[in-house]
Amino acid sequence: MRTQTLDAFQVIADPSRRQMLQLLSKKSLTINSLAENFDMSRPAVSKHIKILYGAGFISITGIGRERHCILKQDGFNELQDFINYFDKFWTTKLSKLQTILNNKANK
Amino acid sequence: MRKEIKQTWHFNQSPEEVWEYLTKPELIEQWLMKNDFQPIVGHKFRFTFTAKPNSKYEGVVDCKVLEVKPFTKLSYSWNGSTQDKSRNYNSIVVWTLVPKDNGTELQLQHNGFVVLEDILAHTEGWKSCLKKMEESLKTMKP
Repeated sequence: MRTQTLDAFQVIADPSRRQMLQLLSKKSLTINSLAENFDMSRPAVSKHIKILYGAGFISITGIGRERHCILKQDGFNELQDFINYFDKFWTTKLSKLQTILNNKANK
Repeated sequence: MRKEIKQTWHFNQSPEEVWEYLTKPELIEQWLMKNDFQPIVGHKFRFTFTAKPNSKYEGVVDCKVLEVKPFTKLSYSWNGSTQDKSRNYNSIVVWTLVPKDNGTELQLQHNGFVVLEDILAHTEGWKSCLKKMEESLKTMKP
């Protein structure tokens, strides 16, 4: 199966994938036990897992015959960049407002 | 992990004067963006800007006024998208004005990023969960 490369936002735009990440935030799970929580085919679950893996949200570790999904930070960092972008945006805009108001006061 | 933006600014002007710069389209434009804002709850408006050629973000923010308490509080939804439409973010901007030291303390909160909140609400525990995993891996023999 071909795995699409999606960015962090496309990855979490899907409710099933968000739910998977929520389940994994409580504890790591094997692919089988993760799949039990979803009313979808096993290949569909695998596809979502591949997408999460591809975008750096999870890592997959083999323990014995089981494959465990574990949350990983990389995907979350991209979301953090987004917040930082807007923080800078507002700092720039508000310092402009301050300059305007100060100039007005000095007139 | 951070999931909202909070900034506090101090202005020497009165809340009434600062309020004008938050609610009059021609004054908002001076420091923020072109807009057709009106201080009426439910009013839908747009901020428009010329996106830089290399910017990820599109030049339009769709908004709706959510709360108007003259000289005290103003909030609107803030929904935008990236140039290639791959990311939509829905969020809320809240302005709070507090009279302070003969001027105004202006608080900005930008939060409720819909794409983020579901997930971030549940990520607090993920570090400890990783640690638990590490421990169980150590104790497990293949």
